[in-house]
Amino acid sequence: MDKRWLSFELHKRKILTLILSLAFIMSLFSVEWNSELIHSKGLETAKQIATAFFTPDLSGDILILAMESSWTTLSYAAAGMSLAIIIAFFYGILASGIVVSEGNIKRYIRPFFRGQLGFMRAIHELVWAWLFVASIGLSPYAAIFALAIPYGGILGRIFADMLEDISPEPIKALEAAGASKLQALWYGYLPLVRANITSYAMYRFECAVRSSAIMSFVGIGGLGYQIQLSLDDLHYDEVWTFVYFLIALVIVIDLWSNQLRKRLVQ
Amino acid sequence: MKKYKLSFVTASVYALLLLMVGSWVSIFIVEKASLTLLFTEKNLFYASKFFKGLLGIDEESPAYLHAENWKNALNLTFETLMMSVMATGFATIAAFLTVVPAARNVADGSLTLVKKWHGWLSFGMVRGGYIFSRAVPELVWAMIIIFIFKPGVLPGAIALALHNFGILGKLFAEVIEDLDSRPVRNLSSSGAGRFQLFLYGVLPAALPRFLTYILYRWEVIMRTTIVVGFVGAGGLGQQFKLSMSFFHYTDITLLLFFYLALVFAADYISEKARIFIK
Amino acid sequence: MQEAISLKQISKIYERKIALSSLSFTVNKGELVALIGPSGAGKTTLLNLLAAILPPSQGEILIDGHPLSELMDHKKRAKKIGIIRQQYDLVGELPVIHNVLAGRLSEWGLIKSLLSMLIPQDKEYASQALRRVGLTDKLYEKTSSLSGGEQQRVALARLLVQSPEIVLADEPVASLDPARAEDVLDLLVKIALEEKQTLIASLHSVEYARKYFDRLIALKDGEIFFDLPASSVTDDQIKSLYRLKEIS
Repeated sequence: MDKRWLSFELHKRKILTLILSLAFIMSLFSVEWNSELIHSKGLETAKQIATAFFTPDLSGDILILAMESSWTTLSYAAAGMSLAIIIAFFYGILASGIVVSEGNIKRYIRPFFRGQLGFMRAIHELVWAWLFVASIGLSPYAAIFALAIPYGGILGRIFADMLEDISPEPIKALEAAGASKLQALWYGYLPLVRANITSYAMYRFECAVRSSAIMSFVGIGGLGYQIQLSLDDLHYDEVWTFVYFLIALVIVIDLWSNQLRKRLVQ
Repeated sequence: MKKYKLSFVTASVYALLLLMVGSWVSIFIVEKASLTLLFTEKNLFYASKFFKGLLGIDEESPAYLHAENWKNALNLTFETLMMSVMATGFATIAAFLTVVPAARNVADGSLTLVKKWHGWLSFGMVRGGYIFSRAVPELVWAMIIIFIFKPGVLPGAIALALHNFGILGKLFAEVIEDLDSRPVRNLSSSGAGRFQLFLYGVLPAALPRFLTYILYRWEVIMRTTIVVGFVGAGGLGQQFKLSMSFFHYTDITLLLFFYLALVFAADYISEKARIFIK
Repeated sequence: MQEAISLKQISKIYERKIALSSLSFTVNKGELVALIGPSGAGKTTLLNLLAAILPPSQGEILIDGHPLSELMDHKKRAKKIGIIRQQYDLVGELPVIHNVLAGRLSEWGLIKSLLSMLIPQDKEYASQALRRVGLTDKLYEKTSSLSGGEQQRVALARLLVQSPEIVLADEPVASLDPARAEDVLDLLVKIALEEKQTLIASLHSVEYARKYFDRLIALKDGEIFFDLPASSVTDDQIKSLYRLKEIS
């Protein structure tokens, strides 16, 4: 075998693929593959659930309930995102270090804020939700804050990355013309990232709607709460009604987001 | 034409602002959720009690001081890790198997020089499947799966995979759509069959981006394992729920610690791996 | 002399344009034909028709006496007809050896194709081919790191491995500087002669066409302007071929 064939560069991706595949196969060993896996009536339940897929409950009561829950879910998501955007705005700017001049302060400010963003993002919104519910009770604010913090963290980090990725020329030109750091931010940085960040925020909004739906799992109202109730009652047809409403909500926002992104990337 | 495009974007932004304002209005007025009530003495008392509980102040034997608890938590952490890898694996395999018809340049025959009558039909069906899969949150999938499977790591992995399969599928399809079709078509003229086209033409160009997406999704899946655990899918999440219901708050601190460690580790490994294949 | 290719009344019509109208000619086995003509004359369309990438709107193409439409199995077709284009033929991310061995794909089954990605199979085919085009030292280089001229030679190597009976070349040297272009054309013709292949190449340089080919078929506005042996083409004919339509 030709020595050159064995050179590392050529095969990096294959090596990684191999490692990942091995990791996957290893993980399969952690499950005991026997009939104990499925509930005794599991397959039967699966069939019931599957058939109910085609016959969602479309009675007036359920439909109204679904619409109300959809609004609840949507409004929590929107409120949460509005806070997230504010958080992301401030943290993003501070974490990218562009308003601070080079030097010692910058060296400490950046990691400080980036670390906070990292912490906010690391914890899943449901865990935040649980933490808030445990401390302030079953208030809509639990859901809103639980969405605002991790999403603020994600948006803030991406915003900071975008700000840092900007090519320095236009900014230097502004500064040469006499702009202060804040003015450079307002007239230089922000307009340049505006399209990108809006597009990403729309994408995250769609995720937020889904997250909001599952907030209800900790007891706050919304589509997820209804799904859970109906599952407990074994009313699979109702479950699918709510799931369909959720899917519809997500699809609408997804389409809107796609249209927006297409027109922003000019 | 430019004016029209500008209008859509501006209109959207206004609509979104309206939505947000409307949401706050709804929350303040309709649900009568008051911000000030939030900070009543009673609430502050409960909140501080909660946090004290988490930190283990006023507790005789906080969980994080016992080696046994650390061992348990470590086991659960390992379980959770396995769940995340399994889920990512299932989702990737399912996405790979279905992605080829889901790419526009395959459906219209421009990639492979072969136009099948069912091109757009398959496209629609697979893409529809992806949308369905990713619109349903992992938790909802888990709630349904738990009715079929007994609690454990497998149902969690399946639930996570069911949701992420749609996400990966869409991302993979976009990678294929972005490919330069000329080398692929040329391979076809050299006599390559469908499988060979994929292996020699599509995969070399697409693999780097595929791997990047897989690693990114693994990071997200890692965070979500705790959530599917809530409904009984094993790992750290399940124990979290148990400790929650027993009000063993110091347990939770320990679990949260391991959870964060796992998430940060996954982020780190993922980033290193992505740099490796650059 | 066998008829390798035979076109009868070939037309290709698009919605707004008649790309080719009623072309007929035959090419014998082993001939070296150059297609010349102004841009838009239909040279690429004609080659695509011959390669069965596009179907004709009217007329028939016979390969070795059999209709082209019968050669639907593209593995069989690949053994008959090979094509080389201006650029972007090759998979840039793969090392040269895989691109060259792609010529063997019509022979390989699933397993062998998979195996070859890890351990290249039939390496001798590739090394021989690369030797003939003068690129033996580039065997394991990433294809996209090669220069334009080298990449075209890799494409030639792939054709060598594929060894079709008919070689179609669509502006193979258009993006190369004169020195490389002559290298590549030289190789192209030499290989065709050595392998006894039938070669049809479209070129925008009449000079090269006259220098390297036996027969010139000139296309203008989708029709055959002239079809003559290279030596008997006059400069006046060339001028009127390329003259723009007068606006009267």
